Amino acid sequence: MAANAPSRYAITLQEEHEGDKFIENLNPWRTRLWIQQILRWTEYGIIVSMLCACLLLLISRFIPWPTASYWAFGVAAGITLCAIAAALWYRPSFEYSARYIDSQHTLQDRISTALELRNDSTPISVLQRRDALRELRKYRPETTISLWPGRARLLTFGIATIAIALLLLLPNPINTYLRQQAALQARLNRQIAAINRTRLAIDNQQTISPEERAQIDKILRNIAAQLQQSSNQEQAQQSIAQAQSQLNQLRDQQASQKAQGRADASASLQNSSNTNVSNTGKALASGDSKALSSSLQNLASQLAHMTPAQRAQLSQQIEQAASQGQNNPLLSSALHQLAKAIADNNPSEVSDAIKNLESAASQDSSNNTLNNSINQASQSLQNAANALASATDNSPSQNTTQVQAPGQNQSPGQTNAPGHGQGVSGQNGQNNTNNNAGKNEQVFVPGQTGSGTSNISQDGSTGTVQSGNSVPFSQVIAQYSQMAHDAIQNSNIPPDLKNLIQGYFNSLEGR
Amino acid sequence: MAHKSESTSPQSEVKTSNEVQFEASNQLNTRDISEIEDKLETGQPDEADIEMFMQIAQQLESELCSIVVGQERVIRELLLALFAGGHVLLEGVPGLGKTLLVRTLSDALELKFARIQFTPDLMPADIVGTTIVTEQSEHQSTASRRVFSFQPGPIFANIVLADEINRATPKTQSALLEGMQEHTVSVGDTTRPLPRPFFVLATQNPLEMEGTYPLPEAQLDRFLLKVLVRFPNAKDLLQIIDTTVGLQTLQARQIASGEQLIHLINTARAVPVATHVKEYAIQLLLATHPDQEDTPDPVRKYVRYGASPRGLQALIMTSKVRALLEGRYNVSLEDIQTVAFPSLRHRIILNFDGLAEGITVEDLIETIVEETSTP
Repeated sequence: MAANAPSRYAITLQEEHEGDKFIENLNPWRTRLWIQQILRWTEYGIIVSMLCACLLLLISRFIPWPTASYWAFGVAAGITLCAIAAALWYRPSFEYSARYIDSQHTLQDRISTALELRNDSTPISVLQRRDALRELRKYRPETTISLWPGRARLLTFGIATIAIALLLLLPNPINTYLRQQAALQARLNRQIAAINRTRLAIDNQQTISPEERAQIDKILRNIAAQLQQSSNQEQAQQSIAQAQSQLNQLRDQQASQKAQGRADASASLQNSSNTNVSNTGKALASGDSKALSSSLQNLASQLAHMTPAQRAQLSQQIEQAASQGQNNPLLSSALHQLAKAIADNNPSEVSDAIKNLESAASQDSSNNTLNNSINQASQSLQNAANALASATDNSPSQNTTQVQAPGQNQSPGQTNAPGHGQGVSGQNGQNNTNNNAGKNEQVFVPGQTGSGTSNISQDGSTGTVQSGNSVPFSQVIAQYSQMAHDAIQNSNIPPDLKNLIQGYFNSLEGR
Repeated sequence: MAHKSESTSPQSEVKTSNEVQFEASNQLNTRDISEIEDKLETGQPDEADIEMFMQIAQQLESELCSIVVGQERVIRELLLALFAGGHVLLEGVPGLGKTLLVRTLSDALELKFARIQFTPDLMPADIVGTTIVTEQSEHQSTASRRVFSFQPGPIFANIVLADEINRATPKTQSALLEGMQEHTVSVGDTTRPLPRPFFVLATQNPLEMEGTYPLPEAQLDRFLLKVLVRFPNAKDLLQIIDTTVGLQTLQARQIASGEQLIHLINTARAVPVATHVKEYAIQLLLATHPDQEDTPDPVRKYVRYGASPRGLQALIMTSKVRALLEGRYNVSLEDIQTVAFPSLRHRIILNFDGLAEGITVEDLIETIVEETSTP
């Protein structure tokens, strides 16, 4: 009997083998639990991701969020992937598997205790391990651990699917607001580009002093920055109005009177029988400094050969021109000085008077150029304001009438930069809304109080009258033409521009 | 395991025949048990030991249940404490069979049984024994001389029934303390070992509280379990009538000896406990303390002191026994939860609010078990 009894070494080997056997028997359960965990966590990940996506889409219906759908998709994909990755990474341990089996089959912690004591060789531990192994073999992981999703998860998944489908399919009211904001931003960007082009054009004008150029440049830069930061129509319009006000402060308030005085003086000089005086008048009228200097030098040379009577007559003509140009005090004073010097036949005084006259003409010309630049900038801002307002006019709530001139192919809100056909005059300093043929233009007139809004647009071939509060073009054009006529007559607009404006309205009435 | 040898005093150099007989029997008893324990320490219990445990425990339980009717839960909890080597405090109204239970247990285990009826005038010497002057005849002469000899008290038995322990004064109650904890008794300057196995089964009546001295917490803590003896139901009462008032007198048959019982106690100690089960027992114990982080709110509100580490020892030891009684070789979480009630109910001290609002320790333990998460 003693010889057949197993040795201690053999018993130890057998016990170790039993420990390994126990792990082998537990391994299929662990693998099955891992698969179940992957599936279950993935299901939870999908459900949680869909709920998060629903939440984001719901938020986007209350808060402007253009990229909400992309975020919802990204978050959903991210959560799902994270869930899968976590399920793959955190593999169930043998301890977890043992406790799971114990709890599922009410094995009174047999499996977990046996797992912990799998290397224990005491007799009672061996007995316990065998008991646990016997109990473990009574069950199969395929029947114990189900891989099918539970009813609650399926129900939650269905609800989340319906919710997300509704949120995606039903129109989001806040998207309209977002589109308007995007359109506003696009219009603002176009106007900013136009203002920048105007600013560069003014910066390239060498006839304006650097200080004045810097001031205009600063104003235009500021308005461009303010427009960039504007969040709504009103704010942009207010910024433009402020910039226009600042530009008007730079403008010479007497500019039109000075121009009138200069025109009168030059006209009077042009009527002189003396060629040099007449040329001087023409040079003054055209603003040609070289021609002015040449004609005055010729006049100075001519004085030496003139009789006193001729000089007195010449002096009188110049004096008359000075009187005619009294609206331009500097020019009038220089002409008075020249007339007196000619009458006194004092060559040095004549020379000084000629220099003063050239200086006055030059300064006058410079002021004129400055005003033209300011007008150009102001017109650019006005165009921006009009373009922004025109886009808003498309909404029925606005009380503005938009009239698009014949032959225009421009969409609402678009404006033209100087040099692209916009009728900005570089000579008279007045706002000019006329365009060359075939070029784009927008003309805005005040809406009729109490009669809603009028919005008439024509694309050159077919006219379109928008519904809503718009009024027919033919009903307002006569009234607007009369208003424009009255305004022209009561202002100091040069005659050629008056004719231009009148012709424009005549052309509108004819359509 | 070697026990501390008995110290002697000059006064007891000359011993009476009575004392010599007592010491001889006691020393023999102690030597035999030491041999058994030495044998057990050298090797773990094997399959035969465990089978023997299960067989004896099952026979003992069925034997007790056949005589003490309607107290299956009490018998089970008594066996838990018995095989765990601890003392039991039985609480119940008179007439429920507490004394019968203890006497039947001693009969079934062939152990020396002693009953002490605690009364207010009971003295410590009535329990542990005293030194008296006796006549001793000289050898080879007719003369005799007077000598001091130790007269052992009833505590020198294997199973001591301390009936109505709360009726004695604290001084007398404390006479049991050393014996329960150290298994020794000190009288004068002499320390004497108690026979092994040694079990104290104390009873107390929860109703008649007038003129009683409630056991102090230190002494309560020395009882492994506190078992509540409840009134039997109608069916059990009918069986009690049939078995007790007839001509037939039931007598328990002997199931095991004292030596076997010690062997079974050591077998139960070898039952393995997994780490997560130990951690759960610790969590349960900590949850009885009102100042712990995860303590349930009722405990925080109504408990003055929680259970001591002896409570944890009681949880684990009785759980091991329960596992074997249930036919398992390991301790489960359910074992811990089941034994939590008798192990902790006398170790949780209610505060004034708890007493005033009539909160029971049973409810608190139930709350603790429910709210303590299983690993």
